[in-house]
Amino acid sequence: MSFEPKIVGFLCNWCSYTGADLAGTSRIQYPPNIRVIRVMCSARIEPDFVLRALASGADGVLICGCHPGDCHYSEGNYKAMRRYPLLKRMLKDYGVDNDRVRLEWVSASEGQRFADIVTDMTERVRALGPLRIKTDLQTDMVER
Amino acid sequence: MAAKKLQIALYWGAACGGCDVAVLDTNEFILDVAAVADVRFWPIAVDGKYSDVEAMSDGELDLALFDGAVRNSENEHVAKLLRAKSKILVAFGSCAYMGGIPGLANLVTKDEILATAYLSNASIEPGNQTVPRARSAVDGMTLEIPSFYRRVYRLQDVVDVDYSVPGCPPAPDQVKAVLLAVVKGELPPRGSVVGASERAVCDDCKRTKSEKKVKSFHRPFEVIQDSSRCLLEQGILCMGSATRSGCGVRCPNSNQGCRGCYGPLPGVSDHGAKFLSALASIVDSKDPKEIEHILDGLPDFTSFAYRFGMPASTLQRSYK
Amino acid sequence: MEELKIGVFICNCGSNIAHHVDVDAVREAVEAKPGVAIARSYKYMCSNPGQDMIARDIREHQLNRVVVAACSPRMHEKTFRNACRNGGLNPYLCEMANIREQCSWVHSDQLAATEKAKALTNAAINRVRYHEPLESLTAEMCPATLVIGGGIAGLTAALELADAAHQVYLVERTATLGGNLARVDLTAPHLDSARDLLTERITRVRANSRITLMLNSELQSLAGYVGNYAAIIRTKNGSGEVQERKVDVGNVVVATGYQEFDAGRITHYGHGKLPNVVTSFEFEQMLRKGRIETRHGKLPQYAAIIHCVGSRNKEFHPYCSRVCCMTALKYAHELKSANPACYVSDIYVDMHAFGKGHEDFYKTTSEVKTLFLMFEKNERPVVRKAGPNDDCEMLIEVNETLSRERIEIPADLIILMVGMEARADSGEVARLVNISQDKEGWFMESHPKLDPVATTTDGIYIAGTCAAPKDIPDTVAQARAAAARILGKIAKGKIEIDGVFAEVNEDRCSGCRMCNELCPYSAIEFNDETRRSHVIPAACKACGACVAACPSGAIKGRHFTVEQLHAQIDGVLA
Repeated sequence: MSFEPKIVGFLCNWCSYTGADLAGTSRIQYPPNIRVIRVMCSARIEPDFVLRALASGADGVLICGCHPGDCHYSEGNYKAMRRYPLLKRMLKDYGVDNDRVRLEWVSASEGQRFADIVTDMTERVRALGPLRIKTDLQTDMVER
Repeated sequence: MAAKKLQIALYWGAACGGCDVAVLDTNEFILDVAAVADVRFWPIAVDGKYSDVEAMSDGELDLALFDGAVRNSENEHVAKLLRAKSKILVAFGSCAYMGGIPGLANLVTKDEILATAYLSNASIEPGNQTVPRARSAVDGMTLEIPSFYRRVYRLQDVVDVDYSVPGCPPAPDQVKAVLLAVVKGELPPRGSVVGASERAVCDDCKRTKSEKKVKSFHRPFEVIQDSSRCLLEQGILCMGSATRSGCGVRCPNSNQGCRGCYGPLPGVSDHGAKFLSALASIVDSKDPKEIEHILDGLPDFTSFAYRFGMPASTLQRSYK
Repeated sequence: MEELKIGVFICNCGSNIAHHVDVDAVREAVEAKPGVAIARSYKYMCSNPGQDMIARDIREHQLNRVVVAACSPRMHEKTFRNACRNGGLNPYLCEMANIREQCSWVHSDQLAATEKAKALTNAAINRVRYHEPLESLTAEMCPATLVIGGGIAGLTAALELADAAHQVYLVERTATLGGNLARVDLTAPHLDSARDLLTERITRVRANSRITLMLNSELQSLAGYVGNYAAIIRTKNGSGEVQERKVDVGNVVVATGYQEFDAGRITHYGHGKLPNVVTSFEFEQMLRKGRIETRHGKLPQYAAIIHCVGSRNKEFHPYCSRVCCMTALKYAHELKSANPACYVSDIYVDMHAFGKGHEDFYKTTSEVKTLFLMFEKNERPVVRKAGPNDDCEMLIEVNETLSRERIEIPADLIILMVGMEARADSGEVARLVNISQDKEGWFMESHPKLDPVATTTDGIYIAGTCAAPKDIPDTVAQARAAAARILGKIAKGKIEIDGVFAEVNEDRCSGCRMCNELCPYSAIEFNDETRRSHVIPAACKACGACVAACPSGAIKGRHFTVEQLHAQIDGVLA
């Protein structure tokens, strides 16, 4: 039985979440490994959420926002654009492969694009194998 | 009849001794402490053996201050011992509270550490490469030394902790306040962080604060700074905005950026991640390439952001 | 924390969800979760009986939290919040799990879809535990409106509002009113004069004291929120001087229109090279002058009209520009009226005669002896200069679909039916008023079927061709619809501001000032005396940028708190 990665997606309400809904209305199929959490803007997404997801059993995290210049809140996605590269550098130091955390821009009309990104990411993370942070931390625990 | 003296103990795990020195830095106050308390165990300062502690009954100690992180089996053993024998156990200093600077070792493996210390560095004589082992046979007897753990732990990872006093080291005033509180019996709810503010260093820092937009980062020696202006605004890394105050703003007052030793504010679960979020948000650019270039001015950001709290972070250690 | 009593309602959505998600399995899985008082599944949760069920269950079981696992919250969050309100529960104590658009509709593997539905519902249950009751705030509604664009849409909207006795600021970038319609002679299918249509509007606009007309003007900036916008209009007078004026408005109607496709981009039509290949607008100029003639001043013996120039193909624009087919037929009429002996060929892909009177118009045009030739939309006709022995200026080669023959058509005059496209400056307009554009640059409506004139930004409406190609009847309908929506808001007098916004905990704020510059709405002010920042709730749009950036975690993002999101993350991975 092949490994089924668990991917957590953080999608912004106005663009990417609507784009994902459009994939639904258009019945565009994609792998079921992703579980989406809706926020109003990609600017709400803190690196802490990504780390929490990875430590709670996620094998990958997808962050989606509006295309630069198109943010419903004017500049929210620029904040995501700045946080994400620094987070990637930090994850490298932690030994977490960069392919596991991904930032993508998806507009409200890009249902197909959302499906394509999820499909691609699912396969990449599957190839990387399970991220054992949750189980490793449990093994680390000291008997009190 | 004379009031019974407070029975106290102090112990250092993976430590530098700075926290113990901080206790002594309370100067004359230590004599007042000596007047009301019996120091039953304090390896750095007074004679004593583990067997003395083992012989105590549970709860015989009124207060135990544990500084340093838990790095090996001896640290764990004494932590558990002091927890059993003491009514109040305090994680004293950043190492006990968050893992401290020793906690950064969680970014490398035990093998890498031992290799660097004992096998391959410039000061090792050839032919003299011996890696310590937990058990060795010496003169027909077995010699045991504490075993070195794969990673660093905080005190609360091995035992229940009653109070935490952050700081590297905690400021002498805070040490005084904590000891006095115990003496007077005026303690906050169990589990509290004591000796630190509920607000960030910025609250106490006298530098002026205004618009925060950074186009480049500098090491402190690379620029002539304006000592009346917020360091971060001048591109000098300072973690004060994300760090509890209570230290007296010692570092920014000495023209150095805050290094975060008092740990995160209440409600923030990951100190480094929170600071990352704030710092990256104020990078003044909308161009991906330019952003990467600006971030290149932060070499080894991970070690900066988690200098005192790697074991307390969400991921706690490396997974290479 | 109060004892939680969570009601979980799982919608079958007919077979939309139930076909791929085993809703009973989801119900069983969540029934046992701590805090769940009841778990039900039902055919259509959004229906009246479905909503009543929620309200009833809240009262009967004293539910203090509700989870609805159904379609996207973008569809029915309001519906279920209302149902909660009807049941006496604060609407924000409700959370939805999207098990349709993002589950049953996209995953055909029933097992996987069901597992995912369980995870998403579990996450919603986890999250809703940490929800807090929130109340809306109210603010004043300014009854003045800003209308951007002085074409038929803008003029109509302005008049509708002014006739209802409200102040309107009509901003037009050029020196004249009328927009693209002012460049047209007659309109299809009834051949009325565009000038007459416009003159009536323009006269009434100029005469109406409630309409402040600003020509040679552009919107410079728009700050604020619905009911309370401050717009800065920049006007350039004749001598190049610039004046700025600030106006307070409650709502904005964007009616900026379209621009025509540049026919020169299709090189083998020869526009810009062959002098007698003209665009529809260039032909209109001839019609208005009353003289149809070639560039050499001759009456054309042969005339051809080519449809779908720049429209309906992947290379340029995939959409249909809607008005060109009927306009082309109008040209056929005009050409025949001017010179009954003229041979008119109408070279088309499909005849889009969808509207009232259109099919009749098509029939009468074919009766005036127009030759109709059909081509495949990706196999465009080719225009070339005729030889010295030909009795015409140009020749058009068409792969005619119905006869399956390659036909050569003579033409002294070729009219290219250029399509509509989004204006080059539409991106800037979108940014100024904070609305989105689709792939083609048209402004996006709030819902393509159910809300065509509103946008996702409250208080900003779109009308006319700036939203998509359309004809005059639809443009006027939209302009009136936008005006009517605004009138409805003005009649209410006050606006309700969502209870979701960011809040600074002043006991935790250290005055570091990271947040102030991050807010695109300038909603976070710094108090120099107290040295603390605070958020203006009415101006806050709840994007969460400041919440994520605050290094002390002193800013709380209502309804998107750290606790709620952590619970959701854990729930989705459990």
